[in-house]
Amino acid sequence: MEAEIRNGNRVRVLIAILGLDQHETGALAVSAMLRDAGVEVIYLGRFASPESVAAAAVEESADVVGISCHSWEYIHYLDDLLRALERGGERIPLMIGGSVISPSDKARLLEKGVSAVFGAGASSDDIVATVRKLAEARDS
Amino acid sequence: MPTDASAGKPYYRPEDISGNDYATDLNDPGAYPYTRGRRTQPRHDANAWILQELSGEGSPAHSNRQFRDLIARGAAGLDVIGDAPSVGCLDPDHPFARAAVGTQGVSICRLQDFLELYDGIPLDRITLSHSLPSWFTIAGLYLLARNHEVAPGALRGSVIQTPLYAEDYCYAVHMPVELRLRLTLDSIEFCTREMPRFHSFVEDTYFVSDGGPGAVDEMALGFVEIRKVVRELMKRGLDIDSFGPRIAILVNCRMGFFEEIAKIRASRRIFARMMREEFGAKDSRSWSANITAHTAGSALTAQQPVNNVVRGAVQAVALALAGVQAMEISTFDEAYRTPSREAHLLALRTQQIIGLETDCTKVADPLGGSYYVESLTNMMERDIADRVHEIEAIGDAVDLSNRGYFRRLLEQAMITRAAEIQNGSVAKVGVNVCQIPEEEDTMLREVVETKIEPSLDHIERIREFKRTRDHERVRNTLTELRSRAADHKASLMEPVITALQADATLGEVSGAMRMAYGMQYDPLSGTPAPF
Repeated sequence: MEAEIRNGNRVRVLIAILGLDQHETGALAVSAMLRDAGVEVIYLGRFASPESVAAAAVEESADVVGISCHSWEYIHYLDDLLRALERGGERIPLMIGGSVISPSDKARLLEKGVSAVFGAGASSDDIVATVRKLAEARDS
Repeated sequence: MPTDASAGKPYYRPEDISGNDYATDLNDPGAYPYTRGRRTQPRHDANAWILQELSGEGSPAHSNRQFRDLIARGAAGLDVIGDAPSVGCLDPDHPFARAAVGTQGVSICRLQDFLELYDGIPLDRITLSHSLPSWFTIAGLYLLARNHEVAPGALRGSVIQTPLYAEDYCYAVHMPVELRLRLTLDSIEFCTREMPRFHSFVEDTYFVSDGGPGAVDEMALGFVEIRKVVRELMKRGLDIDSFGPRIAILVNCRMGFFEEIAKIRASRRIFARMMREEFGAKDSRSWSANITAHTAGSALTAQQPVNNVVRGAVQAVALALAGVQAMEISTFDEAYRTPSREAHLLALRTQQIIGLETDCTKVADPLGGSYYVESLTNMMERDIADRVHEIEAIGDAVDLSNRGYFRRLLEQAMITRAAEIQNGSVAKVGVNVCQIPEEEDTMLREVVETKIEPSLDHIERIREFKRTRDHERVRNTLTELRSRAADHKASLMEPVITALQADATLGEVSGAMRMAYGMQYDPLSGTPAPF
């Protein structure tokens, strides 16, 4: 899919779950949906920390980082994660998704600097389009 | 919607079940092969089944108040779930635990926690079910009983055993499958001697199927695990009738109403025949599976959460008609949190309305003889048995676990289930059909979105506790446990009990055993062993 190719390489997204949250369905489902759309997914999986996510994102040259959450642990890690994703005045775009995120949570997260937030019922078209947009914005 | 055994006929006729022989395939309720239930006489009262709800939040003392509240409102059992650190065999002071202590269950890591958790709870009257590490729970309850001068042999209740699938699906304890299986076998064997009334082996097919496998794979995975554990216990020389009566199956109940009823009926028949004909159990109590059930949390939606009240009621009716021994309804706030007080009350009242106001419980197995239900029961039995055979033909369950077979199966099932909702092939009211604008979706919002804060003060209490205990005693018992764990013939229950008695904690005891199996003491953050 041409739209997912940038600089001759496929868009790369790192997917992880923070802390001790063990619910994985969302992370796996989004990974599968992105792969089907031609996006390269690096699946870091469960038990990630802000440091391990940032290290993997740099090592894997991820264009976007996606955090899946089914508990409120992400709130605790958010500031550290946003800081860790900053490199040389630039921040790797962060998207967060999960059914536990309410509309009011969403507004707060966007305010804090999260690039995209998906609550329950987000469509795959929406998620794929957002990934593409975030990756392209980094290029320009 | 049925997920596995899609029936495919507009209606059913006598010839669809003409192969059934009443005496051998069905028989009366309370008689082998127990297709129609365990009980001859139904109970049409508040004890038609054990009413319980998912319980545990914050510190043990805080959870104790929640338990008292539930019991005062009619709960006859408690289904105690640990928070994420406890379920993962980590202490509250672990670096990864800070954001999760007490938010999705009770924080429990030491003997003192068991004493506080069950303070004043009538242990002889209330059934205590546990979704916590089995060996830790059994050791804790054993010491609790002794502390209260109650004979451990009088304890009732149950604990889930998750040797094969835990690491792959939601219950990772950061231990190799060989150690997980050994702890399962040791704890069940210990209970045959010390806690014979306690259901030490609850096969939890709920956790392994919620959000993933459908009804057939749910039960097939469950039977693969039961069969592995039973065979291993028999290899140790245990009489099957010493533990057979204490096997229970905790099943899921989704929205496929008749399919779930048929699944339960078929599972009772499979279990009975397996125990008697294949494993040679002679005690009739070993033949009849004790079925307990949770309504599917994954069937519930974040959108229009009030709709979940209806889903829980429909699923609970299915369970009442199937004839289960205990039931728990996943509450309307499930998509967001562990149950709020309001959600608990509504779930208990739902069970009470079905049990007391309807005639669902007036006769045993009211659907018995229905062309459709009997046909579906036969179909489920065949499909589950075929799947068990297929998996066992591939290899030994421990090898399959190590080769990632179960992980791949569960991963694929999660992806498939999520895709069915995304692409609309399975209808989900409020999600892919019958949606309403976000600004109109306001009913019960205040309740479902109230967050539970991590119990940071409990972390401090545990830190202080660790600073002030007898360090040498802790070190000695953990060193002894580690060396016993390295000897694969030794039983682990006695050294675990000794360590807990000496104020060692869940995380430390687990770490000592991990090290004996060549793992890091703390595989998540690399903290070195404190002994």
